[in-house]
Amino acid sequence: MTATASVAVSADRLTRRVAWLATSPSLRLAARRLLIAVPVLWGVSALTFVVMSVLPGNAAQQLLGAQATPAQVHQLELQLGLDKPAWLRYGDWLGGVVTGNLGKSIASGQSVTAIIGLRLPVTLELVVYALVVSLALAVPVALLAAHRPGGLADRLSMGISMAGLSVANYVLALVLVIVLAVYLPVFPAIGFVPLGEDVGANLRSLTLPALAIGLPLAGFYTRLLRADIADQMQEDYVVTARAKGVGPWQVLVRHALRNSLFGLLTIVGVNLGTLIGATVIIEQIFALPGIGQAFIQAINNRDVPLIEAIVLVLASAVVLANLLTDILYAVLDPRIRYGQRPD
Amino acid sequence: MAPAQPGGWWTRRLAVAAAALSLLVAACGGGTTSTGTNQGGTPQRGGSLNYLVSGPLANWDRGLDSASGGAAPSIFEDAIYSQLFRLSPTGEIEPILATGYQLSADGTTVTLSLRQGVKFQDGTPFDASAVAWNINRDLTTTCVCSPVTSWPKLSSEGITTPDDHTVVLHFSRPYGAVISVLITSSVNHIVSPTAVQKLGDQFKLKPVGAGPFEVVSNLVSSQLVLQRYDGFFKKGQPYLDKLTFTTIGGDQPAYQAMLAGQAQAGGLTTPALIQQARQNPSLTVALEQSTAPWVIQLNTAIPPFNNELAREAIYYATDPDAMRVHLFNNLFTATQSFTGPAGLFYTPKVPGYRTYNLAKAKQLVSQLGGLTVDLFAGNDTISTTLLQALQTQWSQAGIQTTIRADPDLTRIIQEFTGKKWQAGLQLVGAYDPAVGAGLPFRFLSTAIYSGVHDTTLDQMMDTAASSTDKSKRAQQYADIAKYISDHAYSPFLFGAVTGATALKSVHGPGLTSSVPLAGGFPAPYWDEAWIAKA
Repeated sequence: MTATASVAVSADRLTRRVAWLATSPSLRLAARRLLIAVPVLWGVSALTFVVMSVLPGNAAQQLLGAQATPAQVHQLELQLGLDKPAWLRYGDWLGGVVTGNLGKSIASGQSVTAIIGLRLPVTLELVVYALVVSLALAVPVALLAAHRPGGLADRLSMGISMAGLSVANYVLALVLVIVLAVYLPVFPAIGFVPLGEDVGANLRSLTLPALAIGLPLAGFYTRLLRADIADQMQEDYVVTARAKGVGPWQVLVRHALRNSLFGLLTIVGVNLGTLIGATVIIEQIFALPGIGQAFIQAINNRDVPLIEAIVLVLASAVVLANLLTDILYAVLDPRIRYGQRPD
Repeated sequence: MAPAQPGGWWTRRLAVAAAALSLLVAACGGGTTSTGTNQGGTPQRGGSLNYLVSGPLANWDRGLDSASGGAAPSIFEDAIYSQLFRLSPTGEIEPILATGYQLSADGTTVTLSLRQGVKFQDGTPFDASAVAWNINRDLTTTCVCSPVTSWPKLSSEGITTPDDHTVVLHFSRPYGAVISVLITSSVNHIVSPTAVQKLGDQFKLKPVGAGPFEVVSNLVSSQLVLQRYDGFFKKGQPYLDKLTFTTIGGDQPAYQAMLAGQAQAGGLTTPALIQQARQNPSLTVALEQSTAPWVIQLNTAIPPFNNELAREAIYYATDPDAMRVHLFNNLFTATQSFTGPAGLFYTPKVPGYRTYNLAKAKQLVSQLGGLTVDLFAGNDTISTTLLQALQTQWSQAGIQTTIRADPDLTRIIQEFTGKKWQAGLQLVGAYDPAVGAGLPFRFLSTAIYSGVHDTTLDQMMDTAASSTDKSKRAQQYADIAKYISDHAYSPFLFGAVTGATALKSVHGPGLTSSVPLAGGFPAPYWDEAWIAKA
């Protein structure tokens, strides 16, 4: 085969691959959702800017503190460009975002992208770890509870999960530190070890924060999943499976759980915003250098570019997580084909 | 001292959780041995100390350049830059990078003598030209840490450097508090001019000074890692190899982190937690007295407090001792004037001061035909506790009080600039009453944060600040305290304390023994800090 023919074949393959991708329901869904996300994210950023604009005071006043004279505040306002109208500042910022420039922190003068780049991995890892903890606990406990509704395991797990739900995660965080860092020094009370430095130490440093966020969530997920599985166990297909002689655990895990996971997935996706919100407080308690810590300082400093960027990143994460959830539906249930009417 | 620092919603919730948790920790706690200061032993070289910071100390977003950082990061700047002067444990001015100062007889000229042979961490010389360069720079910065708002203007001679180790400041009028201002301002932290010019904007992230430690890494407002500067002028010092500052979200997690051994020291401000830490045998707690007491500011420009009888009623209806003893574990020190126990010219008792007298308060309220007050403060834990206590105490005298805890600094500033406020619970004072956030800040007619408009008082304050004779100044400030008391301008409550808390293995002034809070924040002597090896 000549080189020209080889190139023609490759181009043909590429064209067919692109055509196939264009007809992929999941990809079409992803593209549609991503397009919808653009106005959503713009709305979030505009709302954030409006809220920050109507709040009393500005970065100059916050940074200089109460002792500053009006002249000093005015001078810093000029330096920081805060004398410009709000819409102009927002326009400047938005123009930067469109070109991939998130601007500079008003307080520190550092690139916002650099600040987020340093801190986002810490928060993301914490979110993922907390999610894994919550699901790793919720799924087996819910199965155990649903295996014999009203039994000892069911009552016990429901009681514990209700207790977990009732405790605020910042209180739980303090209790966990006392028990698992002070009296039983198993995990560190504060600090963060980067993943690239030492994997074991990294996981140890994030275990208590992940438990503080993940345990109340696990309580919530357990109750939800257990109720859903119990409902599924009344369905005809379960009766059929039992009639065929499928064992009770097999029915529970292979049939009821699989169908119940849809509800759980939905809630996990919706709950992601709450999960990220929890990290803001937990990072403070465990001295984790994540995005939540920067967010609190940015709000205190009225550091609008940094606040806007963090909100944008977090909102994008929530949008992406919801998209991922929808795609997972398709993965879990072959009957579901987006863009096609199920037969 | 700045107004009460704001706290977020979660900080308050954390405080409530912490209070409950304190009981748990106490129940599980070890012995009840009371610990005092821990000064003994021969310093050992080496080791690493993790010092926890929270609240206003945990915000170094503006960087660590002494001319732009603001007041809060002085705890870090002391480590990086050292100081020209610092306060000794007994409150005397102690030269460090300077060797002394001389105030001229007429009070208009100050001569600073500098230590010779000192080098910045970049190898450039610490000399008179570097210090003069710093002072000139500090006088033009927008930072509130600049001495410009307190110092009189320089005369036409300005700043001169007769030789490499002498700097002379020529002022346009006498000013007795010049060194007091210096030690609480950016001028006290001398940066390397060469490094500033070389690093530009990056300097504030990785500053260069002549202090005991140099910067290794700086994750802004999260973690600052320093290592020993081997060229520090004190031979053999600092003792620590590494000093880390870590931001944490409050006293309770800080306390627990120390108990877990992940941090070795920090400053606690929650009274219940300070008491608990004092009873923990693994910790040393040194009580550091405040320079700034709480004051109930009354706006004398508008009703009801343009009437002296209404102000007197507030004096008589307020029982600071009941709050001090029952709400704050007797940790705080009472005062009837504007300086805390760690400040200059501390006057705990003022002749003729109107103390708690419920009957007189009731009588005055009746005479006034009733009294309704709007009282605001910050929303930190101590402020909100005090607001509720004052509302309760005043209600017993028939005073109807609306209390408001403003959520942030801007709102507090707006209260004052709006001029419609009636009463505010704030902190007043500084190490020297003449200094920036000291007495004039709350009592000068033209000050934004003042509720008093009395030209006689203005004149008294100006005279006391200008005076160069310390004993004369003491008398002048005692007279001012009496004048404020006689006119019932503002009842004073008590000065808060900070519990310098550290593991038993840690030693050093400001860590395990008390040193004055010159800038209102803890100021450990980092060059003298050391850790005993196990």
